[in-house]
Amino acid sequence: MTDLIQFVVAGLAQGGAYALIAIGFVSIFTVSGVINLAQGEFAALAGLTGVSAIGAGLPLPIALAVAIVVVVAVSVATERLAIRPVKKMTTLTSIILTLGVSTVIKAAMLLIWGPQGHTMPAFTAGDLNLGGVSIRGQELWILATCALVGGAVWWFYERTLLGKALRACAEQPVAARLVGISPKNATMLAFVVAGVTGAVAGVVTSPVYSSAWDYGLTLGLKGFVAATLGGLLSIRGAIAGGLLLGVLENLVAGYVATGLRDAVAFVVLIVLLLARPGGLAKHAEARV
Amino acid sequence: MRRLAVASLVVILAAGCAEETPSGSTGTASTGDIVIGAVLDITGAGATLGGPEKQTLELLAEQANAAGGVNGRKIKLIIEDNQSTEDGAAKATTKLISQDKADIILGASRTGPSLAMGGIVESGKIPMISLAANAKIVQGRSWVFKTAQNDSVVLQNIVDYAAAKGWKKLGLVRDASGFGEGVAEMLNELGKAQGVSVVRTEKFAPDATEFTAQMVNIRDAGADANLIWGIPPAAGLAQKSYRQLGIKAPVMQSHGVGNQAFLDTAADSANGVVLPLGRLVIADQLPADDPQKQVLTTFQKDFTAKYGQGPSTFAGHAYDAFKLAVDAFAKVGTDKQKVRDHLEQVKGFVGVSGTFTMTPQDHSGLGKDALAIVTVENAGWKLQDVNRD
Repeated sequence: MTDLIQFVVAGLAQGGAYALIAIGFVSIFTVSGVINLAQGEFAALAGLTGVSAIGAGLPLPIALAVAIVVVVAVSVATERLAIRPVKKMTTLTSIILTLGVSTVIKAAMLLIWGPQGHTMPAFTAGDLNLGGVSIRGQELWILATCALVGGAVWWFYERTLLGKALRACAEQPVAARLVGISPKNATMLAFVVAGVTGAVAGVVTSPVYSSAWDYGLTLGLKGFVAATLGGLLSIRGAIAGGLLLGVLENLVAGYVATGLRDAVAFVVLIVLLLARPGGLAKHAEARV
Repeated sequence: MRRLAVASLVVILAAGCAEETPSGSTGTASTGDIVIGAVLDITGAGATLGGPEKQTLELLAEQANAAGGVNGRKIKLIIEDNQSTEDGAAKATTKLISQDKADIILGASRTGPSLAMGGIVESGKIPMISLAANAKIVQGRSWVFKTAQNDSVVLQNIVDYAAAKGWKKLGLVRDASGFGEGVAEMLNELGKAQGVSVVRTEKFAPDATEFTAQMVNIRDAGADANLIWGIPPAAGLAQKSYRQLGIKAPVMQSHGVGNQAFLDTAADSANGVVLPLGRLVIADQLPADDPQKQVLTTFQKDFTAKYGQGPSTFAGHAYDAFKLAVDAFAKVGTDKQKVRDHLEQVKGFVGVSGTFTMTPQDHSGLGKDALAIVTVENAGWKLQDVNRD
């Protein structure tokens, strides 16, 4: 029983990382129909920037702020240089374009930080031990951050005028333009949101999973699967999808075979796309 | 839109096709530059190994050329990155042989890529010196040599240490790639005489970041002691997870973690781990009359002066490979058959990883005494037993 709980705890923390990436996917897709495959690279970039900032002697909150600023700048640049110039954007085009962006970011990270992985010190020292189940302090940070960021993004899209305007662009682009909302600016704002969530994800997970130039792709793909589990349009769905995926991975690794860990996400994706293309939640028009 | 898609396709294709044109052939002539080709794991899972190895080769080539080269011939060093993949290693090796006309191939950093290169140099009849551990790399090969201590030598040390401590049942958490292949079987075989055996094996991918599943299973196995067999950063994160899950049994690691990256990743959790390790990282703690002391301290000084940090044991494997190659070139020139024959007869060659004595049966040349027993104390290496009889 302790083992099961231990697997679930570790899975939840890992799932929290996937969920944070998934939120980034959803926040862009909801507004523009763009799938941003560089989302994982945003996290890797934030982690490495954070490591450098801490290495330079900055306190954690400042390091986090630096990472957010850098990643948001890169995210906005992505939108400006790779997304906006395209006249008629389709989801497929966006996938190809952002895959290119992801390669560029990776190469830049390799040049700046070198091939080795870097690890940030834990936010708070010490682990929690509850009846034989060990919980890393950082795992609690990941889950708390996930809840906080997820809540904030949900509140932004659902409860603020600006957020509603962004969603209007996705649902009725023509009507949105008629009432004076600029779809271009909306897309850019969505990239800002995705940059912030990606940056936070990268910084908060670095103490446990390390950061390296090439960690983004797997993280991004897992995050994408998590977002798809939630139907790609729902923040709550994305968080649930991420946590579910993380727990599932750890259970398979613990009870079946550790080698299958990375296959879980993709098996889940295939099954899901065949059985429930609209996501796990019943109704296709599930909202944010 | 379509035009853009077509354009981007063209760009991608063009970039893919833009292979380098063949460089000026130096051939197998007995004058002109000596071409040393190296295939290293510079990016990817083996990056913490390949990085310092690359630095070492560059340092040594520079030193050799500054001293006038080998018998008046300059050394031309060409380093290729195999991205820690088998196919990358095979491709790079083929390029070095056919385009650059390399006189010898050094590398790769890890077992998997080295195995992939073995067949190519064998049919191309080019001498190769691998920097990786698994004894399979040189088995049945006549052109392949290696400088890292054989894993069987490392495992013998681990078995002896465990037996001396009275640990009969061992748990193993190993790298799922070539480096970890066959470790459990070899442990069982070597341990038979002393009653040491593996009771549970768990695997992890070389780029894994989450180890809870493996460690919980190993905890449940209740072994007397556990062995983590991998390279950083994965081995460091595994060490962290081992301590975090409160596993009481003593933990050992392999010679795969002999660098600062392990100490950095594992941090406090590394304290108390025991491992057989090349003497480079504890050179300053060796007695003054140790046969390797001179070589080790000189290399350490030169490396630190150039790069501002100490060399890892992997850098040492590269050092030995380069020195063995240059030693052969100095004595017999660059005729490939002669170089191979010379390497096979190397005797009492004092290197960083140990004192090499090669034979036609043993292309590794290092015995059990090539490793000292080392532990970690306060985030630094501490010599526990110099391990010379």
